Amino acid sequence: MKIFQMQCKMEIVRVLRNRYFVFWSLVMPILFYYIFTNVVNTNPQDEAAWQAHYLMSMTVFSVMGSSMMTLGIRMVQERLQGWSTFMRITPLSDSVYFAAQMVGQSVIHLFSITIIFIAGALINNIALTAIEWVMSGLWILLGSLPFLAIGTLIGLMKKVETAAGVSNVLYMVLAVSGGLWMPLEIMPKVMQNVAQWLPSYHYGNGVWEIVRGGAPEWKNILLLVTYLVLFMVLSKYIRRKQEVA
Amino acid sequence: MNEVLTLKNVTKSFHQKTAVDDISFTIGKGEVVAILGPNGAGKTTTISMILGLFKPSAGEVRIFNHLPQEKQVREKIGTMLQEVSVMPGLKVQEILELIRSYYPHPLPMSELISLTGLTGEELKTRAEKLSGGQKRRLSFALALAGNPELIIFDEPTVGMDISSRSRFWQTVDSFAAQGKTIIFSTHYLQEADDVADRILLFKDGTIVADGTPAQIKSQIAKPSVSFIVDPETSLEKLYLHTEIDDIYRKNNRVYVQSSNTDRVLELIFQEKLAVRDIQIERGKLEEVYEELTRGTKEAV
Ligand SMILES: Nc1ncnc2c1ncn2[C@@H]1O[C@H](COP(=O)(O)OP(=O)(O)O)[C@@H](O)[C@H]1O
Ligand SMILES: [Mg+2]
Repeated sequence: MKIFQMQCKMEIVRVLRNRYFVFWSLVMPILFYYIFTNVVNTNPQDEAAWQAHYLMSMTVFSVMGSSMMTLGIRMVQERLQGWSTFMRITPLSDSVYFAAQMVGQSVIHLFSITIIFIAGALINNIALTAIEWVMSGLWILLGSLPFLAIGTLIGLMKKVETAAGVSNVLYMVLAVSGGLWMPLEIMPKVMQNVAQWLPSYHYGNGVWEIVRGGAPEWKNILLLVTYLVLFMVLSKYIRRKQEVA
Repeated sequence: MNEVLTLKNVTKSFHQKTAVDDISFTIGKGEVVAILGPNGAGKTTTISMILGLFKPSAGEVRIFNHLPQEKQVREKIGTMLQEVSVMPGLKVQEILELIRSYYPHPLPMSELISLTGLTGEELKTRAEKLSGGQKRRLSFALALAGNPELIIFDEPTVGMDISSRSRFWQTVDSFAAQGKTIIFSTHYLQEADDVADRILLFKDGTIVADGTPAQIKSQIAKPSVSFIVDPETSLEKLYLHTEIDDIYRKNNRVYVQSSNTDRVLELIFQEKLAVRDIQIERGKLEEVYEELTRGTKEAV
């Protein structure tokens, strides 16, 4: 247990020291949030609703990104630099190492969520009930699982450049077409249909429903769980194939 | 003998290529063993199997009577791999603390710090910012973090200058003196001869000699009697004696190879050969090594 705590702590320290993480997961979303709720006039019908909606979009955007990129790219780096090999020789078991990375990431996400929520609340004076804040945070935390699984898939890639390139493109495509940057309603019909099948849309929609005073739809949960299982199975399958080779 | 490591008929093939071919040996507690061989001889592959990183294609590896992958084995071994790597994002001191925490009976932090030879300021820098030499010393300290009973190094001194090399071996000596078992690979014969009390000589994935440096000399480095002789003189008669293994000329001298040099001298006098400047040479390990490793394919 002491080993696990120590491992988690070190994982967290490592992420926080990563300048890319701080920029992409904290600075960018808050900056975007400020711009699209205060600088650019989007003329929403319900100002307060839009501000809460967009704060959730940006938090989802942040957590989705660090799930996919931070973990995946680091896995590739550690393997290429031989650190993973060294770890295999230590008594720390693979599963504890992996679990610590997951827990570490989740703590980081909790941290990002808190920071962005506070920043949003301060910037626009958002009035949500305590329950809504907590439920939103929880949804974003748990909903990140399929994206962490995408991260482990990216972590199986052979080169850091490929991993970084692929995860970046995937991240942006998922964010834009999932309606995280701008509401789906203003996008063409085709895009709206496509979004119905994307994990990023369902990730966002769950929390948009919450701040609207409702609850996530069953479809949101179902799709995210399906994607999680799919990516985990795929990741396991590829890992096994790589081991045999 | 207290067995620490046993390899039984171990083979490792990569696709068509056989990197290690049916090797067997046992190493006992407290031995300092050099795995000596040129590039591509199969040293790293053998060490990877010992560490449980590769599965043997055939045969079995046992450490302390267990499989290499088992946790109780991992708690008792420490290693420095050929490719040195550090964990990015953590400070030197943090990495040392982290790795220490994995083991039931780690070395004290102060001892590890002195093994790295890093100053207080350097201990607070991120590991990825260290120089190559500093990283190597850090990884040396990491190898010893768990106070291992069996220490395995793959080509530990490659890239070290003479003074770091001798400091490295001094430290290793002090661990050997505590009764720890040490296995290291090298392609420097001198190093194996100086440091190890046993050499496993590898060539093309097989062990061509196994013993103390002295035994290896007597096993394969045959002593010879050499002399200068008029080229006209016939040496036919010597060829008739079965004690003589080989006769060849090199740099104006004739070399008569035999494990019984006294007998060769006797024969020379008996046959009244007109030779001068007779010398007896014990086989030199360098020559044996060169001989054995000549024609070895270079590693890719
Ligand atoms: N992963 C691998 N795939 C294919 N061939 C390999 C692999 N690892 C090593 N070899 C081959 O096996 C032989 C032994 O390699 P190695 O054990 O690294 O030698 P050494 O460490 O003594 O230099 C070499 O010919 C090398 O090319
Ligand atoms: Mg090697």
